[in-house]
Amino acid sequence: MSRKKLKILLLSLLPLLLLGFLAFRAFENSAAYYYTISEVQANGVSEQKLRVKGQLVPDSVIYDASIPLLGFSLTDGDAHIQASYRGVLPDNFNHSEEVIIEGTLNSQGELLVSKLMLQCPSKYEGEE
Amino acid sequence: MAYVGIISLYLACAGTILSIILGFRALKDKKEPLGILTHWASALSTLCITLSALSLVLALLTNDFNIAYVARHSARNLPLIYKISAFWAGQSGSLLLWLLIISFLSLVVQKNRKYQQNHLHIRLCIVINFVRLLFILLLLFVTPIFELLAERPFDGSGLNPMLQSLGMVIHPPVLFLGFSGFLIPFAFAVIGLWTNDTQATWLRHVGKWVLFAWLFLTMGIVTGGQWAYTELGWGGYWAWDPVENSSFFPWLTSTALLHILLLPNKHRLKRVWSYVLIVLTYTLTIFATFLTRSGVLDSVHAFAGGVLGQIFLAVLVVMAVFCFGLGWHKRQMLSMVPTESTLSNQGLSATGKTIVVGSVLLLMLFAGVLFGTMFPVITRVFTAREVVLDASFFNQLSVPLFLGTIFLMGMSPLLHKKASDIKILTKRLALPVLLALVAAVFTYLSTGHLAASVAFALAAFGFGTHLPVLLSPDSSRRWGGSLVHLGLLIIMVGITGSSIFVDDVLVSVEPGQEIVFGDYRLEYEGLTVRYGSERYTVGTTLAIVENGRCRGEITSEKTFWEGRDQPSTRVGILSTLKEDIYLNLAGWENTTAQLHLQRFALVSWIWAGSWVMYFGVLVALLGDMKLNVKGKQVKLWPRQMR
Repeated sequence: MSRKKLKILLLSLLPLLLLGFLAFRAFENSAAYYYTISEVQANGVSEQKLRVKGQLVPDSVIYDASIPLLGFSLTDGDAHIQASYRGVLPDNFNHSEEVIIEGTLNSQGELLVSKLMLQCPSKYEGEE
Repeated sequence: MAYVGIISLYLACAGTILSIILGFRALKDKKEPLGILTHWASALSTLCITLSALSLVLALLTNDFNIAYVARHSARNLPLIYKISAFWAGQSGSLLLWLLIISFLSLVVQKNRKYQQNHLHIRLCIVINFVRLLFILLLLFVTPIFELLAERPFDGSGLNPMLQSLGMVIHPPVLFLGFSGFLIPFAFAVIGLWTNDTQATWLRHVGKWVLFAWLFLTMGIVTGGQWAYTELGWGGYWAWDPVENSSFFPWLTSTALLHILLLPNKHRLKRVWSYVLIVLTYTLTIFATFLTRSGVLDSVHAFAGGVLGQIFLAVLVVMAVFCFGLGWHKRQMLSMVPTESTLSNQGLSATGKTIVVGSVLLLMLFAGVLFGTMFPVITRVFTAREVVLDASFFNQLSVPLFLGTIFLMGMSPLLHKKASDIKILTKRLALPVLLALVAAVFTYLSTGHLAASVAFALAAFGFGTHLPVLLSPDSSRRWGGSLVHLGLLIIMVGITGSSIFVDDVLVSVEPGQEIVFGDYRLEYEGLTVRYGSERYTVGTTLAIVENGRCRGEITSEKTFWEGRDQPSTRVGILSTLKEDIYLNLAGWENTTAQLHLQRFALVSWIWAGSWVMYFGVLVALLGDMKLNVKGKQVKLWPRQMR
């Protein structure tokens, strides 16, 4: 390999290494692990941040606007999970069928939601 | 109406196929009349597509609920402007809009006399028509847009209230215009390689088109952010959501492309990288479409999954393999240095080197954000557990790279000509360094926030270096670019301010009660109720008082619609140069209201900066036209560096 080629190779490695370093540093505390609701109930995951997807159980929604605190439960057909979210009730919450939540489990097996994801209106096509 | 629409789509299909066949014959036989016929067939197809789109508009305006699409997205009592924007509220309508935009672009290309030599226009016609054919086939057979209902409903289900906003009218068409604009540079580049264009004449044509598409892509991203900010009620404009990121990918690559195109033509890097970046940018617009429609990643914005996503993935793979295969096949031609020049990498000026490093930084940003966005898919395939990365990952990854890019951007005017002369350099450095110091010290003393001080100092430095360029008539060629840079610096100040200096409170108040929020006092008088047709609205208006002086009023309201369990909230925003006060009526009990109050510093700088950017691009685009018309040597957009 000629010297010039070696120089180019080393120069192109530099951005890659820098990017790798930045990505590695950013990875901490920002990863959320996907679990199904049945898995959460079976093994009782703790500590790490999880992400759960499920159907909203009808009539499970309680909302106290004065705190504000939103409680609801999700199901994947087999198991249920209770979740609570400290925040304002989003407009399209009751309308959503599928809800994705991110957060940590407390000792009662309740998911303390830090991020609540609902279908945006543009997704409503195909809901028929 | 439906039949007119369908028949014209079929005719458009025929016209497109005919145009492709005639085009190939014209290239083979080299007969002039065949070339003219190619254009006529293509123009006919454009006409039919326009007719088809017009019939959908008419169907929406006349409440033709026989058509499933109209019944699903429109309703009798919908205001006129939203009836029109219901055109692109669904999957197939947005494809038709996209097709329509491509068709108009193809007309513009056909009209341009510069492209008439060497059968270039026929080849352009063929490439564009291949893309059009794909869209027409999708609209005819995969998501049929003029599908009829067996029974005509009395009323349509209407446009979702959250989509009834100005953002819905502006954002989608502008973004599609940006996406489809990149088709033209893509066609030029592929044709350049296909025809063994050793002189790389295609490089001469692409610059303006890239700039045009970039303008609308930028506008599409900014209007999307503004829409989210004013509509969704959480006060953010960017959340690193996969769908948002997917429009950011082509922006990053095309920004790098715009700068690479400024390198001297004789430079070896230019051809290879221009080709790679053009193909990459266009492929990424298709990738964005795939991500939004496939359901591969969880996103709040995505369309429901379906076969359309798979089709776009297939197109993406075929296109990428073809283009990069073509590039590899012709690699010798691409990396060839024009014979008259003996320059190689060493010949690059300081500005040229800055451009290369800046482009590398932009591509690193692209790679990093792509990696983070696709991380759930990567972990799903290679590990047992899917892992999602949240906004903090993207922020930590991108902020250092952004700051580096902004720093280089600020440096760039300093390096222009005679930069090696220390005396001149110090003279040029004086003002920017002074401004940067003032900004840093002022921010640090008043807020004590180090990161903000660094960011504002970088912005002030950039202002300082770009200002002399704008004030001097000698540098008129760089006005457009400098204005865009200036706009970006203003946006950066806005983003820094609104993500660092934030206040957020939730209060429960009774009528007559006063809320103290930062320097402001807000007075809550009570709730008001308004009744309209098929809806009622509950709202509240607060007077904002600062130091005993009334600064304005702010209103937030919730509307409940008959037959929908989903209300729609209108947030109240009082926007000043210093900060935005953001009010969301979260709920109420009797006369007690729960209010969500937020304060974001400097948000309006983002929107203001974006206008400076658009203006800069226009200056660059129109400046070049002046040369064509009057033959003067005053250029505002440099084709390439000297």
